[in-house]
Amino acid sequence: MGESSQSSLLLRKQLSELNKNPVEGFSAGLIDDVDIYKWEVLIIGPPETLYEGGFFKAHLFFPKEYPLRPPKMKFITEIWHPNIDKNGDVCISILHEPGDDKWGYEKASERWLPVHTVETILISVISMLADPNDESPANVDAAKEWRENFPEFKKKVAKCIRRSQEE
Amino acid sequence: MGNCLSHFCSAMGNCLKGSASDDVSLLRGGDGTRESLSSDQIHSSEIFHQQLSESNVPEYYPSPNVRRPLNQLTEEEQIKIAKRMGLIQHLPSGVFDESAKPRECVICMIDFVPGDRVRYMPCMHVYHVKCIDDWLMRSFTCPSCMEPVDVALFLTYETSGHR
Ligand SMILES: [Zn+2]
Ligand SMILES: [Zn+2]
Repeated sequence: MGESSQSSLLLRKQLSELNKNPVEGFSAGLIDDVDIYKWEVLIIGPPETLYEGGFFKAHLFFPKEYPLRPPKMKFITEIWHPNIDKNGDVCISILHEPGDDKWGYEKASERWLPVHTVETILISVISMLADPNDESPANVDAAKEWRENFPEFKKKVAKCIRRSQEE
Repeated sequence: MGNCLSHFCSAMGNCLKGSASDDVSLLRGGDGTRESLSSDQIHSSEIFHQQLSESNVPEYYPSPNVRRPLNQLTEEEQIKIAKRMGLIQHLPSGVFDESAKPRECVICMIDFVPGDRVRYMPCMHVYHVKCIDDWLMRSFTCPSCMEPVDVALFLTYETSGHR
C-alpha cells in the first residue's frame, strides 16, 4: 500500500467515526467531498472563555505523508488570539514537526506525533483558545494586548464573536 | 511566528554539527572495529549501499522536516541516517499473534491481524514495523508515551548486562 492510500484510508476512517460519534465542541467534514485531505471544521467557542458564543470555521490541510507529518490549520473566520496569526494560521507546538535535537526527542511531547487525529488536534486547539500561550505568539500584537491591555483584547475578541454569529 | 521560526532555525543549525570522522567507515564498509558497532549496524549500512545503487533514488530525512534524495545528502547526514537505521534494527520485532494484548496499531488505526510484522518498543508499545520505522527515521520517540527510544534502549542493555 502506498503512502497516499494509507493516509487517505486513515482520514476516511476518522471522518466516518466523527460522523457516527460527534465530539462535543466542534463539527468536522470535508471542504470538497472528493478531497479527503482538505477538511472544514466548525469550532464552538469554549464555554466560560472569552470565545464563548463564537462559531469559528477553520480548514485543515493534511499532507500525503500524514500521520508522519502534521496538517496545517487555518482559521477562515476572523479570530483575535495570540497563537493564531493575522492570516488565520494556527501556530501551536503539536502541529510542529519533531525538532532536530540529537535524536529528535527533546520536548517531543509537545511536538507532532503520528497518533494525533482530527479529534486530538481540535481538542488541543480548543484548549489553546481557553488558555493562550504567550511565550510563542503567532500574533505579536494580540499577545502584547493580552498581557498589557486585557480590556482592549476582550473587546476585539467580542467583535470577532459577533461577526462569527452573523456569518 | 517566533516559535515557528526558531524551530526552523534550530533544525538548520543542527544539520551543520559534525560527527566524528572515524564514523565514516560505517558507510564505506570499513573495518568497523569501534566498540559501539554491532553486526546489525553494519548490516544496515549494507542496506544503505544497496539503496544507493538503485536507479530510483530513495529520499531520507536528515532532520524531520528536511526531505532530500540520497544523492544530495552530506556525508554527515548519511552517517546520521545510517546510525539511526542501525538503532532501529536493534529494536525487537516479530509476528503478531492473537494472544498479544494490543488490538490496534495506533499509528494507522488498523487492527493487528495474526501474521502482521510488528515492532516491540522498549516501553512495551507495539506497532506495525512499516508504521513505526518510518516514524523513527524522523523522530526517535515512542508516539504513544513519548519515551525517547534510544535512551530507553541503552538503559535496557545496561540492566540486562548486570543480570
Ligand atoms: Zn500500523
Ligand atoms: Zn511507548
